[in-house]
Amino acid sequence: MLRFIEYSILFLIVSFLQIFLFNHLYMGYFVNPFIYLSFIILLPIDMRDYKILLLGLFTGLVMDFFMGSPGINVMATVLVSFCRPALIRFFMVKDDIEKGGIPNVDKMGLVKFLNYSFLMVFLHAAAFFMLESMSFAGIAYTFLKIIVNTIGTVFTVYICQLLFLSKRSKV
Amino acid sequence: MYRFVLFLKRIGYVFLFIVIEVIAFRYYSDSSGYNQARTLNIANNLTGNIYSAFADVRQYFYLGKENKRLTEEVAGLRAELSRYEDESRFFSDIILPESLAVYSYMTAKIINNSLNRAENFMTLNKGSRDGVKINSAVISDGAIAGYVMDCDNKFSVAISVLNTKFKTSGKLKGKNNSSGSVFWDAKHYDEMVFTEIPKYAEIAVGDTVITTEFSSRFPEGIHIGTVKSFELINGTYYEARLEIMAKMGGLNNVVLVYYNDMDEKISLEENYR
Repeated sequence: MLRFIEYSILFLIVSFLQIFLFNHLYMGYFVNPFIYLSFIILLPIDMRDYKILLLGLFTGLVMDFFMGSPGINVMATVLVSFCRPALIRFFMVKDDIEKGGIPNVDKMGLVKFLNYSFLMVFLHAAAFFMLESMSFAGIAYTFLKIIVNTIGTVFTVYICQLLFLSKRSKV
Repeated sequence: MYRFVLFLKRIGYVFLFIVIEVIAFRYYSDSSGYNQARTLNIANNLTGNIYSAFADVRQYFYLGKENKRLTEEVAGLRAELSRYEDESRFFSDIILPESLAVYSYMTAKIINNSLNRAENFMTLNKGSRDGVKINSAVISDGAIAGYVMDCDNKFSVAISVLNTKFKTSGKLKGKNNSSGSVFWDAKHYDEMVFTEIPKYAEIAVGDTVITTEFSSRFPEGIHIGTVKSFELINGTYYEARLEIMAKMGGLNNVVLVYYNDMDEKISLEENYR
């Protein structure tokens, strides 16, 4: 129960930040971090696969609604939620997975966490920006957007897990 | 048996994923600029007031600059008005009553804007209860910034020029027979593409591009941008890159212009589509 409340608060904070802050941050032109991904990245390890998928769908829908983007957020976020269990299994030992908890730096070590977040974020950014630019901008711009967005988002995800959940993992 | 159930579970999981993606893709490929504007407007019921509050706060930081800009604009308009006053002394008997004005003007504030999506929209703090109509042009400082796509009671959503679905016609100022189409190619928030310019047009860097009389949304003669560079494509037409005249990153107070006979014109043209 406590976990549900915790994650709900995380979701609200992350969505609020994304919609009102990060969507309007224009450092340079390409930087546009998607902090709402940290909600998916930091879901508990022992959560069932389909629940993660449905949460990814819900997050994508909410973001689509507020950003006015037609289905792009859903497609990218659901793709990432689908790949999450496989990625977790790839990066963590079976024992650690059975123990459950939150995939953060305490459980996985900094390098593994960064790799895990990077893969999730890169997959999301690649899907997102390729879908967005289906009609116009050249592939070089798209690739640049993907790279810059990934770096920015991984950075914010790292900050997120530091601020929000690491104190719980000591319990 | 157990293995089979496990297998079904995995298949179910993949199947659910594929179903969600397919539905999302259908929605994505069916979307039009209007759908997105409508969705944004519905979201505005929740977020519009918050955006408005943020915009009010932001505005305080720009009051000085805005004041200066407005004073200059008023001075320019007064100068232009005085020109017509001189001429109209001869025609003072036939000054048109206001109901026959061709365009109606309104002011509004942009409370939400985006620059970095491929399809950007702007939210205005006025809606249908203030008299905003769909297809009103959004003009900032004498340059086009977009047009209104959807109106709700309290807020409206306008499509920005920084939108791959935005297209209008433009021509070089002062040079006839030089019209072409203007669109955005999502490369930079400062640049638009002006293409299909006939090759006998005398185009030069620094030329101003203005709206033509072909668009029912934009009055003729509103600035679009200035030519930054151009090249001849296939020896048949010119394509130029324009620097957008409106400061899309700093839009605040804008003027909405509505062509009063828009409904009649649209319904007349629809008979021939």
